[in-house]
Amino acid sequence: MSADDEFARARAGNTAALVALIREHQRTVYSIALRMLGSREGAEDLTQEVFMQLGAKLGSIASKEHLRFWLRQVTANRAIDQLRHDARFQMLPLSEENPPLGASENADPLLQRHLHALLAELSAPARAVLLLRYQEDLDPVDIARTLEMPINTVKSHLKRSLEALRSRCGLTTT
Amino acid sequence: MNDDLESRLRQALRPVPPGEEFSARMLKRVTLASPASASSRNAPPRRVAASWWLSAGLAASLLLALGIRHRQSEAQQRLAGLAARQQVFAALRVTNQKLDLAYRTVQSESRDEL
Repeated sequence: MSADDEFARARAGNTAALVALIREHQRTVYSIALRMLGSREGAEDLTQEVFMQLGAKLGSIASKEHLRFWLRQVTANRAIDQLRHDARFQMLPLSEENPPLGASENADPLLQRHLHALLAELSAPARAVLLLRYQEDLDPVDIARTLEMPINTVKSHLKRSLEALRSRCGLTTT
Repeated sequence: MNDDLESRLRQALRPVPPGEEFSARMLKRVTLASPASASSRNAPPRRVAASWWLSAGLAASLLLALGIRHRQSEAQQRLAGLAARQQVFAALRVTNQKLDLAYRTVQSESRDEL
């Protein structure tokens, strides 16, 4: 069965197809939520909220591409709102007991630490831009569409974040 | 160097999966709350549906039996009406014959007197 068939079955109310769809996309949603909020508990709550909303909205989503766009948009925007309005979501300082959240295997541990520190400093929209660019591999045009932000703002966030990270890593600008 | 930093960033920011326990809990909640599950929850249970069909069948049988009985009663009444009409006609025929006989007897006696 093709992915499109499965999407159509989920839209038609098939529970097994809905489960398969959630399993396919939960990694994306959870990772954006985790790195935006800096808290596993907050990320789990947000992931669940997003998929609960998806269950009710699936009928109005036209295709798998639209679904991916919708999930990224809703997760990023909800995380930005939570960071603006809820003081609970502050990145914890790094320590032995508190390693960087969402560290992927085989990643440079020093870069992980610098990245964690950078994410903690960035504004919520700048954090979302960085994650959509390097976690989701979206180009600046798609990031601008997803976050409903001017393209020049996206480019400027990316430039400033990369410069800050380069400076932290002791790298010189090329 | 810039490309190298970007590729290391992509490596560091690879999506990570949520915990299995959380994932199972979330799937359960989402599927229970989805419209498909809600509609199946609102459907009558099979036992209720079966008893509904049983009641409907009994009611239909009762109506059919009453209809047949009503038809039979109508047919019996019609037959009884026909029999009664035939009896009335037979009585009229006998009366007519007797009147005719009486008339003829009176006529013949009048002629004899003259």
